[in-house]
Parts: sequence; structure tokens; C-alpha cells
Amino acid sequence: MSTAPDLGPADYPLSVNRQDLLRTPTGKPITALTMDAVVSGEITAEDLRITPETLQLQATLAESVHRRQLAQNFRRAAELTAVPDAEVLAMYNALRPRASSKAKLLEIADNLESKYGATVCGALVREAAEVYERRDLLAREEG
Amino acid sequence: MTTTENRRSKRTEILEDRPVNLDGFVEEWPEKGLVAMESDFDPAPSVRVEDGRIVELDGRVRADFDFMDTFIADHAIDVETAEEVTAIPSVEIARALVDPGASRDELIRIGRGLTPAKILDVVKLMNVVEIMMAMQKMRSRRTPANQAHSTSAKDNPIQVAADAAEGALRGFAELETTLGVVRYAPLIAIALQVGGQVGRGGVLTQCALEEATELELGMRGITAYAETISVYGTESVFVDGDDTPWSKAFLASAYASRGIKMRFTSGTGSEVQMGNAEGRSMLYLEIRCILMARGAGVQGLQNGSISCIGVPGAVPGGIRAVAAENLIASWMDLECASGNDQSFSHSSMRRVSRALPQLLPGTDFVCSGFSGVPNADNMFAGSNFDVEDYDDWNTIQRDLQVDGGLRHVREPEILQAREKAARALQAVFAELDLPAITDTEVEAAVYAHGSGDYPDRDVLEDLKGAQSVMDRGVTGLDLVKALERTGFHDVAENLLTVLRQRVSGDLLQTAAILDDDFVPRSAINDANDYGGPGSGYRLQGERWEQLKKLRHVTSAENPETEVS
Amino acid sequence: MTAPAVQRTLSLKEIGPAQRGSRPDEVVVAVSPAFGDYFSKTIVDVPHAEVVRQILAGIEEQGVAARMVKVWDTADLAAVAHTGARLSGSGISIGLLSRGTAMIHQRDLPRLSNLELFPQSPLLDAEVFRRIGSNAAQYAKGESPAPVPTRNDQMARPRWQAKAALLHLKEYECIVAGRKPVEVEPVVSRA
Repeated sequence: MSTAPDLGPADYPLSVNRQDLLRTPTGKPITALTMDAVVSGEITAEDLRITPETLQLQATLAESVHRRQLAQNFRRAAELTAVPDAEVLAMYNALRPRASSKAKLLEIADNLESKYGATVCGALVREAAEVYERRDLLAREEG
Repeated sequence: MTTTENRRSKRTEILEDRPVNLDGFVEEWPEKGLVAMESDFDPAPSVRVEDGRIVELDGRVRADFDFMDTFIADHAIDVETAEEVTAIPSVEIARALVDPGASRDELIRIGRGLTPAKILDVVKLMNVVEIMMAMQKMRSRRTPANQAHSTSAKDNPIQVAADAAEGALRGFAELETTLGVVRYAPLIAIALQVGGQVGRGGVLTQCALEEATELELGMRGITAYAETISVYGTESVFVDGDDTPWSKAFLASAYASRGIKMRFTSGTGSEVQMGNAEGRSMLYLEIRCILMARGAGVQGLQNGSISCIGVPGAVPGGIRAVAAENLIASWMDLECASGNDQSFSHSSMRRVSRALPQLLPGTDFVCSGFSGVPNADNMFAGSNFDVEDYDDWNTIQRDLQVDGGLRHVREPEILQAREKAARALQAVFAELDLPAITDTEVEAAVYAHGSGDYPDRDVLEDLKGAQSVMDRGVTGLDLVKALERTGFHDVAENLLTVLRQRVSGDLLQTAAILDDDFVPRSAINDANDYGGPGSGYRLQGERWEQLKKLRHVTSAENPETEVS
Repeated sequence: MTAPAVQRTLSLKEIGPAQRGSRPDEVVVAVSPAFGDYFSKTIVDVPHAEVVRQILAGIEEQGVAARMVKVWDTADLAAVAHTGARLSGSGISIGLLSRGTAMIHQRDLPRLSNLELFPQSPLLDAEVFRRIGSNAAQYAKGESPAPVPTRNDQMARPRWQAKAALLHLKEYECIVAGRKPVEVEPVVSRA
């Protein structure tokens, strides 16, 4: 893939102004998502997901209007597109208060970084592990 | 003359019987946080930055930070400007908020560096009219909108579909549902999605459930956005809610990673209601929630006390504080779905006055749940407005020439939409092998008011059907196919267009909704450009012509007839 | 305006540290720190004397014994009720907060679970308290009674939410940290 284009507010909405940039996870252009294609079975639920590239484009757009945290959220989201639904839910549950030991949280961070290349998400989990330790929010030792 | 202690005047008796006296009012107790926004126990603003890091926030040094302080200091506040903007006198900032000559962009820039106590210090200087003036300028989307609740006391999916269709037709941009019996969720979410797309293509739907379940329905494309992701202003209450700022920030990214729009929920009064306000005022704690939401990078927030409205509603100045919390969410550059969504008062006068600070300036969603069903069917425990208030709402819009997101629709159109929604759902249920919807039920849906007007469903069979939707992994795309196969081509097309939006991610941007032509309209391409009289959103042209219509208006051309 | 009827006032006479009961046919009624003490009536002015009278009558009409315990170190309903359940010979308890909120609990359940919960204190009247007592007694006998029907009122929020918060805060002020539960005897005096 070529480098991400430099988008600005005039490109929004991408679904109207920049269809050329939008693809489904299986590589189809967004314009291929037609009723005929749905009926013929060419389009599956998999095609109706957002790609990491598109999330990066939306992050660039958010930055162009000075919403840095929103952009950062989209960058974390781009990383999470690769993580299966069930694993995402499990990670969320592990981040709840007193749900995990510090080692468990660091293991999740390692997994995010090494298996999925999710460095921004990994950093968030590491940060949580530190704060939870300081605020006594790690899992309590049982017996 | 001497008065008799036990005798009351007739006037007192009449006043005593007024509905407002059924409402509860309490004195303030600032030490415990039972105070709206003016408390000696709130901290004074302060901020200190060392080596690019905030080391002191509102009188607390980093070693003493609780997790809210830590998250806000590290994620929400712009470190580069924090010391500079927090040093600006509060009165200057408050005046700039009201001054049409000061741009929204500049106020956003200032707001990004302010601490919670500084923000409170600024809004404390503003009366309710000034808060409205500021809201008019600071709301993120130029065009205001509204959201409905569509639920059923009997969890009847046909009712939910028909009322969703009517609500969409009347103008709601978003529809929200929830359940009496949680296991009904898949059927109700399907009914909402199908019904909503009948009334007007492009309406976005959501089903309020426990966090993980809500995410699962969203991932499958049965719902389009999520909202009931609660955050709280003290660490102890946050933990009682079984979450932290980090778990919620992760959840925000999880939604975005599936292309699903999402906002958090918070509101004044929740902490004191749970007995853990740590001696802070309701608004101070709500400001911490708002900053936490921004720090998490979520695009928007539902606030305005929400389910705790009885608490700020009972203390002096409480509704001013509620108006202020909506303003601050907007000032912090978040989409604001501004409450007015829970039963608030026995007095209709109070119900309206409570809504004016949102309705008059306009917000991104004036109600985050106008009950699109009779309040008796409202499974969010009742809203401040329900279907019986439709004509009053339309009249208030026309009187004051303000856009509250709704319009009057003639009955034949409504009946047609209700019937089509019920028929479409009947077809989808048949296609998906779910418990049949009879023609009698469809007919009931056309003319019904509340759940009592429908034949009872076989609840056990419905629950089996609901379970099978989950077991078989039915998705939004399956609904599209079922609608297409059964001849509801336009509804299928509408739903597919909504689902296609998640591939583009356009609805993830701040305050995004879909207009009638399915074009995403957010704070980027419909950014609020208010700059004083004659600028910003004006109710005029075709939309104003729509809002001039009411159920009964005497014709000027022929005064012996009515136009509607 | 109201002609004062005979006012019954409840006081709770302390007997000694609460012990685990040995009778398999008893229900423990565990009350919060301010019950029958700082507070004398529920959020809707049902006298605590009446609350206790109805609950005890409900238990006794099932032929089951009742014992009362004051919990001092928490005002969390689930914790109050669970404390009572652990002291109860049958393992069944009724937990009560001053504002009237009630819960039927069982020793073997997790603390945050319960058999029946009555969260809407403004809707609890004498009849409901009697039925709560009766149901708790039936659980103690090993029966499975139909749950007491719960009521709902859309307008309870505007009328009672803030007062409930205020009562909650006051109740928390009456907590005596570290003080163990005490067995009490209800004494009703007429004023």
C-alpha cells in the first residue's frame, strides 16, 4: 500500500468524497457493496467491517481538526481490527478493576505488541497495570 | 383577628394540590457533595508542569493523584498550554464563551488546557441565559437533532418496530431501546433496526445492555451505535461500577475497531447518590467525567444528569448545573446528547423549563431519549417527554421558531409507516424462522398507542427465538437479505446503506448522524459556525415550512377549513 | 391537620454480641446502623415500629422464630443482609435499611446476590413488609414461595430520589467502623 494521503476536512465524508480510498477487509472497493452483490453472496459479513487503513485515514482527518485524543482512539482501534471479537472482550474484562494480576496485564500487553503489532494498545494496558498497582486495583491474592 | 393554627386558606389548599408539590426538594449538604455547583469544598484551580508532565492538578500533587486525576492529567489536558490558559482570569474566559466575536475554535483551544476546577470556576460566573448563549456557539454540530426511546413494557417486537417507524418519520436521528427481560434483546434490536429504516432511511439504532453484550450486538451489525457506557467522577464509584478509565478507553477503541459509533454516559448526581462524592459538588465531579471522556478519545458524551436527575432537580440551582454540564461537554469538543430523557417532574411547567436550556440554543441531541412510546411502556423508567407530548413539542418549536428535531406528520403517513414496519418485521421473522407475527398483530400495530393494545405474544417461544438468533450468529446482513427476498427492497437498501457506513468509518467522527440522503453529517462537514445574529444554524426555508405545520391550523385562504 | 393517632416508638434494646443461631427454624432480621435509632420511620413515613411489627408477624404466622440484629459497621444493604444470613440458624435473613429498602438473603449465596430485593423504598408499605417476613420464613422452612410482587412507579424518581440520597448519606454517618453486630430486642413504647 502507498503512504497515507494527507487528508483534510474537505475530504469528509470519505464515503462521498473519497470512495477511491475505501476498501473492505477482503480488498473490494466500497462501491462493490451493492444489493446485487449481497444477494449473489459475493458480499459477506466480513466485508462490512472497517479496515485498519480506513481507521488511520479517519485518524488523520480527526487530527486535521485538532482532535488528538479522538485520533489516538482511532489508531488504537486500527490495531484492534486484527484481534478477534472474543479476545477483544476478554481483554476488556481483564482491564476491569481487581480482575487481573500485574503479570496478567503485562502478558496481555506483550501479546498485543508481539502477536498483533498493537503498540499503542499495548502501551495503554501497561499504563493501566502501573496505575492499578499504585491504586490497589490489581486482583487480590486468593488463599 | 387571630389565626387558627389548624385552619388553612383555600388558596393554600389549591397550591398544596398542584403537581409540583409532589416533587421532592432537599436542602444542600455541601460537606457530603449534596450541592449543585457552588461549594466551598471544591478545590481551587492549579496546574504545574515539569518535564512535559502535569505534576500538580487542582491542588493535588502527582503522588496523591487518584486514578481520575492521573488519567485526566496524562490524557485529557494539553500539557503545552495548560499553565498558560489556566492563568487566564476566569471572567475573561466566561465572557469569551458568551461573546459572539470570540470564535469557537479559540475557545476549544483554551478549553483543551484547562483543569476541572478551572472549568468550574469559569461556568460558575455564568447565569443560565449566558450558559445558553455559550451552548449555541459551542455545540459541535451545526444542525441540532433529537433521539427517541422505543421500548415496550411487554418487550413486544412489533410494537418496537411500529413505534420506531413512527419516530423516524417524525424526525428522530437516533433510536434507542432496552428491555424488560434482557434475553429478549436480539428480537427487540432487530425490530428497532427494521422499523427505524422503514420510517426514514438512515436512522441509527442502539440497544442499551450490559457493556459486553451491547458490544456483541453491535459487532454483528444488528445495532448501529452504542451509548450506555457509564463513567463516574470519583475513583470509588467508578470501581463500584466495575470499570476504570483504562477499561473504558479500551472499550472505546473496541467499538471504533468495528466501525461502530459510540458515546459515553455520565451525569451530575450519580456519585452523591451512591454515597461517595468525596465532598465535591455534583458539577465538579461531572467535569472530571467529561475530561475523562475526552481523554479516552471517545467522540461524544450523553450527559445532563440522566438517571439521577431527581438529585440535582431537588437542590437549589440544580437545573442550572445540568445546563452547565451539557455546555462543558460541548466546550470540550464532544458530541453532547443532552439528557431530558428521564421522568423529571409531576409538573408540566417544570418539565418544559428543565428542557429550555437545551431546546432553545439547540444541542447535538436535545433529548437523549424522548419517549417514542407512552411512558408506561418506557423501559428506561420513563422520560421527561413522551408520545403524548408530540403536539406540544411541535407547537413550542413553531412558537419560538426553534428546531427541536421533530415535525408534525399527518396521520395517514404515520399509519402507513407503522403498517409497513410491522409487515417488514413479519416477513423478516418468517424468513429467519422466528415465532410468527400474525396479521392481527400487524393490524394492532397500525392503530395502537401502547403495549396493552397488542395481542400478547408467546414469551417462551419468543425467548427461544431470541436465543437462536444468537446461536445461529444472525447478522445485520442477514436482515438485509431477508428484507430483499421478501420484497421490502427499499427497506433492505436503507439498511445496507447504514451498514456500509461502518466500512467508511464516517460515523465515527464527532457528532455524526445520517441525513435523509444518507450523507454523514458531523462536526467536520457540518461544523457549528455560530458567530452572532445572522450566522450559524437558522430555522428557515424548507425546514421552517415543515415546522409551521401542526395538527390544527386554520387556513388563511379559506378560514372555514384547516390545513395540516 | 392529621389527628395524631397513638404514636408507637421503636427502640432497640441491646442484649449482647450477636451469636450464630442454632435453631434451624429462625429468620434473622438485620437492620442498619440508624434503624430505630437516629431514624424512626422510612422514607414514606412508615414508623420503624410498624415495619418491625409487620415483619415479625409475617415470620411468626409461618411458625418460624425471629431474632433481630443491629449491624454497625456497614450501611450497604447486601452487606447488612448477608451479615444477618451468616448469623441465622436457617441461613435466611431479612436486611433492612432505615429508609425501608429491604432484601431477603441466604448464607450460601454470594454477598452481592440475594433471594429477593425490594429496592424501591417509597413503594414499601405495611402489607409488603408483612409479606417479606412471610416469604423469608417460608425460605427458612425450605419452601419456595412465589416472590413478593414488586411494584414500579415512574414518578418515584422526581419525588423521592434526592431524599433517598440524603437518607443514605445520613445512614452512612451513623456507621461505627469495627463495631461487631449486636443482638437487639425491639421495644415498642406508646407516646
